[in-house]
Amino acid sequence: MAASAPERVLRELADLWVTLGKRGQAEGGAGVLRACTLTLVVLAEANDDATALGETIAALMPEHPARTIVVKLSGAGERALAERVYAQCWMPFGERRQICCEQIEITVSDAALADLPSVVLPLAAPDLPVIVWSRSARLFEMPPFGAIARMAAKVVVDSAGFADPKRALRLLAETARSGVLLGDLAWTRLTRWREMLARLFENRDYLAKLARISSVRVVYNGEFATAAWYMGAWIVDALRDAGVNAKIVVGAGRGPAPISVELAGGEFRVALARREDRLVITVDNAENCANLPQPSDYLLMREELGIVRRDAVFERTLASAARLAYATN
Amino acid sequence: MAIENPFLDPLRFERQAPECAIVIFGANGDLTRRKLMPALYRLAYDRRLSAGFAVIGISRTPLSDDQFRDKMLESVKQFSEDTAVDTDVWAAFARGLYYVAGDIGDAALYQRLGQKLMAAESQRHTGGNALFYLSTQPSQYAQAALGIGAAGLGKGTGWRRLVVEKPFGHDLASARDLSRRLHEVFSESDVYRIDHYLGKETVQNILAFRFGNGIFEPLWNRRYVNHVQITGAESIGVEGRGAYYQEAGALADMIQNHLLQVMATIAMEPAASFRAASVRDEKSKLLRSMRAMTPDEVRRNSVAGQYGPARVGGQAIAGFRQEPGVDPQSPTDTYAAVTLFVENWRWAGVPFYVRTGKRLPKRVTEIAIQFNPAPLAIFDQDGGENAPNLLIVRIQPEEGISLKFLSKRPGAGMTLRPVSMDFNYGSSFGERSPSAYETLLLDAIVGDATLYTRQDMVEASWSVVEPIQNVWRETRFDFPNYAAGTWGPAAADEMLARRGHAWRKP
Repeated sequence: MAASAPERVLRELADLWVTLGKRGQAEGGAGVLRACTLTLVVLAEANDDATALGETIAALMPEHPARTIVVKLSGAGERALAERVYAQCWMPFGERRQICCEQIEITVSDAALADLPSVVLPLAAPDLPVIVWSRSARLFEMPPFGAIARMAAKVVVDSAGFADPKRALRLLAETARSGVLLGDLAWTRLTRWREMLARLFENRDYLAKLARISSVRVVYNGEFATAAWYMGAWIVDALRDAGVNAKIVVGAGRGPAPISVELAGGEFRVALARREDRLVITVDNAENCANLPQPSDYLLMREELGIVRRDAVFERTLASAARLAYATN
Repeated sequence: MAIENPFLDPLRFERQAPECAIVIFGANGDLTRRKLMPALYRLAYDRRLSAGFAVIGISRTPLSDDQFRDKMLESVKQFSEDTAVDTDVWAAFARGLYYVAGDIGDAALYQRLGQKLMAAESQRHTGGNALFYLSTQPSQYAQAALGIGAAGLGKGTGWRRLVVEKPFGHDLASARDLSRRLHEVFSESDVYRIDHYLGKETVQNILAFRFGNGIFEPLWNRRYVNHVQITGAESIGVEGRGAYYQEAGALADMIQNHLLQVMATIAMEPAASFRAASVRDEKSKLLRSMRAMTPDEVRRNSVAGQYGPARVGGQAIAGFRQEPGVDPQSPTDTYAAVTLFVENWRWAGVPFYVRTGKRLPKRVTEIAIQFNPAPLAIFDQDGGENAPNLLIVRIQPEEGISLKFLSKRPGAGMTLRPVSMDFNYGSSFGERSPSAYETLLLDAIVGDATLYTRQDMVEASWSVVEPIQNVWRETRFDFPNYAAGTWGPAAADEMLARRGHAWRKP
């Protein structure tokens, strides 16, 4: 087993900044700027697409400059923990001065996972929040995950990748109840959908018809089960806030749309469905299209990193979605 | 009881404009083409506008709706700095563009406008909300507002608001008179006086910097601050606006509005909340605390300048009096520097040096706060150890904040040198910042007046500037008194030197 020495890693980081500064000045530039607003710990399986992940992290840095610690989970095998440091630099808006963020890469086997918090904590940028982004579904259920979550100001997961969606929601709800600040990219994917639905009811005529809604139907395909329960739970909770009790049905479907949503009652019907890169909103028989490209991991994480505090709407929806999932056959 | 939309999630949803029609008077003008339409298109591109959104352009030139749409498309293509035109987004946006031709003084124009507003309401579902934007000659502001009122368009089923571009009058009396006439139709809470400087990210960041952090506010007073310099420098000349500019001058064009508002933001007391009334109350209080100078004080504490011809970068630059449309004997100030004092406990005795000018060496707007030196100098008196601590807030072109302090030079001996710690807004956050007009238009549509100027603030600014104007009007200046491409007249340097200070060279 290779022992990890945080002091050595930090020394290497300091050397890296000196080298970058000298190189920047030697090239006639004005040196490098160091920016840091948080420590981002990314937990990724060894078979995760390293290039795509690197591009996502690079894209996040301009808005959320961070010390990034990428933890590669090497799986079963010998107890192992190793690390290297490097920097990610860019020249914003064609300016001469480059801006750099530091990155640390740690490789860890399952057997050494329990040691991970003791390595990561000293490497975190001082006085700034630690955000854990777990891209591994299996890690969430492993015992060391609790200790990893406890060192973080926020833990972001993607329940779309979990094998058992109902169990995923229950575990997430339990984790949230234990005090961990959670984010779920399956929920984040719904933001623009929810926004479009909310915007529809900014229209006073439609808002006046809200009380007519008696049924909500959410149909999903493939990995969108947790998103569908989130959507259904959120709509029903919001309707209840407005004094409207609607019957909810969430079920798997076969159509091309990953999710479709319908709110109906009497003559009034609102439907939302994705059609390629468009969100199609139908009110009664009138159809309207809005531009809605598939959100990338970058866009989803960008939103989550912008919210490092309690998200009351998500927390309530998560609890409701977990109940709803178990009440739905 | 009115039902509230239960689906809103302010933590995650982007701020969006409610349904409304924007009526732009002066729709063929430069401001509409260069700033307003690109900003509105960008808001549409970012899905910030409601589907129930319409723009009604008004100007004298006869144009059909389609011709107006084509013209605006050209403007968006030409002047959108960082937004490519998306065909689908433009098509949806353009369907909401309408045009009414007519003269602002003609009552029939407002009848036609009323019909167009009704058409927009039924076709676009604008909810009866209307924002009237006056992008015309200042002399037409009152006429347009009164025309709106006479046609009964100042009230409707939804809200009605009026946005007025600067200048807000040319002295205190005319500013009061303009407000009085606007108030015949719109209440003060519905009048939005736009100062695009206040929409800039860094100006807003001053509030975040001062009141979001605990470490700066204790230093932000006469005990620690030696003096403050506010610079609004332009490298260009009057660029074809000679006729307008020689009526206004640098003092009225820049200091009365932009730079005094920036000064109010830097020097105001903490607001009780970030609500419009609270923030504007504090700014107003600050402006009213500024000492209106006596004529003798004006002569000691202000400098007027006008640029003369020079060669800059190998190019011959005409003097102001040689610019097209400018009187060859024009006494207009193209440079103004003023020493101002705030009479309150926080700032008593601290000079605020404010300067602006055309044809200065570079385009830069910044605030430099110079702190008092360390009470005891224990290091050798050579090198840069006397360099003062400076906090510099750059508003343009590279928005950011720098702190200058002394550090030991590496090596043997105790030699100090000034170093700069920079926070570059653009590069620290590599995100695109919204333009000032995007911010301010969205604010006006959602009814947030925090960044807009209120009547009492405008009048307080004129109360400071008018005594200076009066003395300058009676003074025969020996113009031109600075060469294009320099940092202004020598008298401005002498004004600071009398207090042992010197202008920064940004």
